[in-house]
Amino acid sequence: MKKNWPVLLLGAVLLIGLVLPLVTGAAPGGFYVEVLLGGLMSGVLYSLVAIGFALIFKASGVFNFAQGSMVLFAALAVARMAEAMPLWLAIVLGTVIMIALAWVIERLVLRPLVNQEGVALLMATLGVTYFLDGFGQTLWGSDIYKIDLGIAKEPVMVLDKVFKGGILVNKEDFVAAFVAALLVAGLVLFFQKTATGRALRAVADDHQAAQSIGIPLNRIWMIVWSVAGFVALVAGVIWGSQLGVQFSLSQVALKALPVVILGGFTSIAGAIFGGLIIGVGEKMAEVFLGPVLVKAFDLAGGGLENWFAYVLALLFLLVRPEGLFGERNIDRV
Amino acid sequence: MAGESNTRAGRIGDVILAVEGVSLAFGGVKALNAISFDVREHEVRAIIGPNGAGKSSMLNVINGVYHPQEGTIRYLGREYHDMDPHQVAVSGIARTFQNLALFKGMSVLDNIMSGRNLKMHSNILLQALRIGPALREEIEHREVVEGIIDFLEIQAYRKSQVGQLPYGLQKRVDLARALAMEPRILLLDEPMAGMNLEEKQDMCRFILDANDHFGTTIVLIEHDMSVVMDISDRVVVLDYGRKIGDGTPDEVRANQAVIDAYLGVTH
Amino acid sequence: MAESLAGLDTFPKLLMHHARVRAERPAIREKDLGIWQTWSWGRFANEVRSLACGLAAQGFKRGDHLAIIGDNRPRVYAAMCAAQCLGGIPVPLYQDAVATEMAFPIQNAAIAYALAEDQEQVDKLFEILPQCPTLAHIYYDEPRGLRHYDQPQLMSCDRLLELGAASQRRDPAFLETEIAKGAGSDTAAMFFTSGTTGAAKGVVLTHHSLIDRALAAAQMEGLTDADVVLAYLPPAWIGQNIFSYAQPFVTGYCICCPESPETVMSDMRDIGPTYYFAPPRVFEALLTQVSIRMEDASALKRSLYRYFMEVARRVGGNLLDGKSVGALDRLMYRLGDALVYGPLRNVLGMSRVRVAYTAGEAIGPDLFRFYRSLGINLKQLYGSTETSVFVCVQPNGQVKADTVGPAVKGVELSFTPERELLIRSPGLFKEYYKNPEATAASKDAQGWFHTGDAGYFDADGHLKIIDRVKDVGKLADGSLFAPKYLENKLKFFPFIKEAVAFGHGRDRVCAFINMDMEAVGNWAEKRGMPYSGYVDLASRDEVYGLVRECIEKVNADLAAEPEVAASQIHRFLILHKQLEADDGELTRTSKVRRLHVGEKYAALVDALYAGKDIVHVEAQVRYEDGRTGSISANLKIRDAKTFPPAAARKAA
Repeated sequence: MKKNWPVLLLGAVLLIGLVLPLVTGAAPGGFYVEVLLGGLMSGVLYSLVAIGFALIFKASGVFNFAQGSMVLFAALAVARMAEAMPLWLAIVLGTVIMIALAWVIERLVLRPLVNQEGVALLMATLGVTYFLDGFGQTLWGSDIYKIDLGIAKEPVMVLDKVFKGGILVNKEDFVAAFVAALLVAGLVLFFQKTATGRALRAVADDHQAAQSIGIPLNRIWMIVWSVAGFVALVAGVIWGSQLGVQFSLSQVALKALPVVILGGFTSIAGAIFGGLIIGVGEKMAEVFLGPVLVKAFDLAGGGLENWFAYVLALLFLLVRPEGLFGERNIDRV
Repeated sequence: MAGESNTRAGRIGDVILAVEGVSLAFGGVKALNAISFDVREHEVRAIIGPNGAGKSSMLNVINGVYHPQEGTIRYLGREYHDMDPHQVAVSGIARTFQNLALFKGMSVLDNIMSGRNLKMHSNILLQALRIGPALREEIEHREVVEGIIDFLEIQAYRKSQVGQLPYGLQKRVDLARALAMEPRILLLDEPMAGMNLEEKQDMCRFILDANDHFGTTIVLIEHDMSVVMDISDRVVVLDYGRKIGDGTPDEVRANQAVIDAYLGVTH
Repeated sequence: MAESLAGLDTFPKLLMHHARVRAERPAIREKDLGIWQTWSWGRFANEVRSLACGLAAQGFKRGDHLAIIGDNRPRVYAAMCAAQCLGGIPVPLYQDAVATEMAFPIQNAAIAYALAEDQEQVDKLFEILPQCPTLAHIYYDEPRGLRHYDQPQLMSCDRLLELGAASQRRDPAFLETEIAKGAGSDTAAMFFTSGTTGAAKGVVLTHHSLIDRALAAAQMEGLTDADVVLAYLPPAWIGQNIFSYAQPFVTGYCICCPESPETVMSDMRDIGPTYYFAPPRVFEALLTQVSIRMEDASALKRSLYRYFMEVARRVGGNLLDGKSVGALDRLMYRLGDALVYGPLRNVLGMSRVRVAYTAGEAIGPDLFRFYRSLGINLKQLYGSTETSVFVCVQPNGQVKADTVGPAVKGVELSFTPERELLIRSPGLFKEYYKNPEATAASKDAQGWFHTGDAGYFDADGHLKIIDRVKDVGKLADGSLFAPKYLENKLKFFPFIKEAVAFGHGRDRVCAFINMDMEAVGNWAEKRGMPYSGYVDLASRDEVYGLVRECIEKVNADLAAEPEVAASQIHRFLILHKQLEADDGELTRTSKVRRLHVGEKYAALVDALYAGKDIVHVEAQVRYEDGRTGSISANLKIRDAKTFPPAAARKAA
């Protein structure tokens, strides 16, 4: 109750940030909505990767540093396989590969380290990160590859009746965001409404108790890592088609880190909202705040988009370490 | 009442769990020293003893949390070695915890439903789509769980988050979740700890009813001797990791070693 | 009423009528294992037939009594009707009564047959079996825990139903003949009054009187078979019996039985009753819950609530009464309805309530207006077991906080010189069972029933009850002293659970206060005030201050009314324990037994009047572990400010 002020403050700042460009007339309505939509679309992708983080953290207490690398690995796999087969088949095969990967990680890394210190597990996932980055390139190559989803990339003009000049929307972006949102909703339902979802939540809540009522921990971890792998694949494919599949993808995917800090490590809802907030926030900051800063301090300019999320997360760590939706005491890391 | 206990005694069957010469040591400390006793089908078997007597260790050995250095445990005529808690659960032994290991963030209903996990077999994909066998299975299990909710009189709290409930109710949810596993043996770790008298009486009634209604064999450890004596068929008494008494409540009450242990007489 | 009920002069005949006319309509719903199960009128009638035939096979004859002990369950009501089918008399007993309280009715009517809901009730019956040798048949509904009982008296309802079904196959015409033998003048049921005064009495009511009253009120309110009622009060209480047995039998509406006593609130939200009854105490408890939840709510919600409740207080009642209200107020009320009243009604489970009654005790005027201002058509009625409930009911549009309305059709009212209310009505009881003296004492040769209530008609011909005739007293200076009136005013405050006022023959009024543990505990926690338990909290100066504020508000109110201005409360103390029915301080219907409390705590009363600041009390307490012991405590006594009467102020 009492510690609500950081949340209120953040809400207020965001609200002001959102409204200011409109009120001051710095942005025409159409352009403003375009920026907003752009932010939301990349936000959904952040959410997706962040859910992968939160899932694994909740279920196994492991802070999976490798989530970004899994995105890259999956994208590489799909991109290279799609050169030799239809895209859908590449995606299916990619999914199989990610599940197999989950199985290997569970067997070779997690199971031997059960009940070890959190730091050991963190180091293990760091190891997995570098292994995946390197092994992925060894296996699939290190150039920039393309994924073509077969959806027109030309911008489409919509809502030209409402706003002067209309809004330019990239149809592919739109479809991608829709797919991501659908996946997020599906995951939430899966967690709340199915027996396996219930078992996952049970394991996340209390390992030992879950084990004593006969929930097999290994199987649950396997499922969690598979789901995280699948989520990484979807994010990887979408991002890959937008930015091209390249090494920097794992850096972009790491944006999920500030997202989970903002949303709270253990909360799926936090991952969703955190992703959207950061997606919209950084776009807004880049477009509207950036030029102001450049002018005011006579800077070289640009790049706000790259560090905005981390600064926000840092601030949050200071005032509200448990995140927007997280539980109070985190003692697992 | 005499008639009642006669019929109950008639229900008690053969030995289903036998602990034979079990010793357990942590480092140099012997927590259990050559303990032997047996549990018969359908009985209420208590393990009592002062603090530090080794009661919890004993339960954890049966439950598969600890593996004894010596001795064996025979369950349904078969010895078991190095089973982990999950395997023990699969074999039909459920337990509750002294310090409540409920899923605090989940609803009462979800907690109890998760006790049905072992009985669920439908494919994860079918579950995800909520179709066919998965949905039917969910409904069947929900029926069983509703029966248990009714049995333990917690209808009013189905949707409540467990962490928000008072302690006595949480204990009841813990029992409900264990019963949902339909175990052959139910291990209760101090089921009455921290309760007031009324809650204790309720809990006694639920334990006896569960024993009666579902035929569940019950092994409970308890600190409060008076409560145990009222509901147990036979009692094992531990002190400093050794067995100092075993028999009906009346026999145990008359046992000099037990009296000394509880009064704190040193030998 | 569209359908004719002519010739249907007993409950079994009415049941068979509904089973014909609306066989598939719901008669009773019960939430079992989390799901609402519906008994149609057809199924209900079948159950009654089997039960009746089973009872007959067990030797149950015309004129036999069947004790029924249980909570609201379909089978409890089916058993009532089954007994009536055979010309027998159901005797519902309070399911929360202790065993010894059940002995008297069973001995009194030499009852041989009993239906008990579960093990708890069966245990009680066996406990009193030595005193009640007539009890030869005990049927139980819920088998749990009874598996090893081998007493010869015991049989399960399921077995009884089997017996009934078998004998029905042998002689299908038997039951119809039995039902046809019944007449309106037969005894329909016997209700034992909880006995505010002395021993319990069995009130004998005929089919005719119950059906007549049920019908009169149903017609007045336009009840139909589309109405829905939640049956949640003890079936042994005439009120619940009227609403969940007599009235559904004359209208065909559906009653719903909650899953357990703790789930009543959520069950009520599930089903959304259209017709609702609750004693003032329940309305009070609901309001306390609402107030506490509002205190915990965010500042925004709290201020919204305060603002719109003020709007509602000003115009809500008038809107409900169809009086004219300004356009702006109307708009604000509409807005409040969307933001506050609607959600609140929903939380209370009263979104669909068309008619709500309260009775049994006078309701605090503010409490009463609170519900009406929310748009809930809460009305008062007056009646008792002896009158088949409906004597006076407030008609729509003529609702006042301090009256119980004009007489219902068919009822004549009169007063003795001492202002005791007399009633003549088709709904009057036949007699007190085997108690001709008591019958003669309350029912005179002209057929007037002496109620024992004091009251008068107001200018509009509405009955106003002030107190029991025997409790209305006089202060030493001769001015009127109506203790209940004061107590009701005090009890409106959420912090005060119960109050007992003294003053008859004294120079001034003093009072005992029972604080509401939930509300005061919450209040203390908010202030970070540590306390170790009830006794400790009740003795805190802060709590005394809180209670004194309440009393002074009441005093200010009283000062404004010339008749009662002399009854302002001068001194008070907060009791160290809750008044309990188990300790004989409350009746089973939770009314304060003022005389008994006054005698039991005579030392405290004396101290109040002796002007002491502190009084010593020895009390029996039960510790957490069940041991009982006695503790001694020092209770503080404090003064409250009184105000000059309004009349005097004007004169000055």
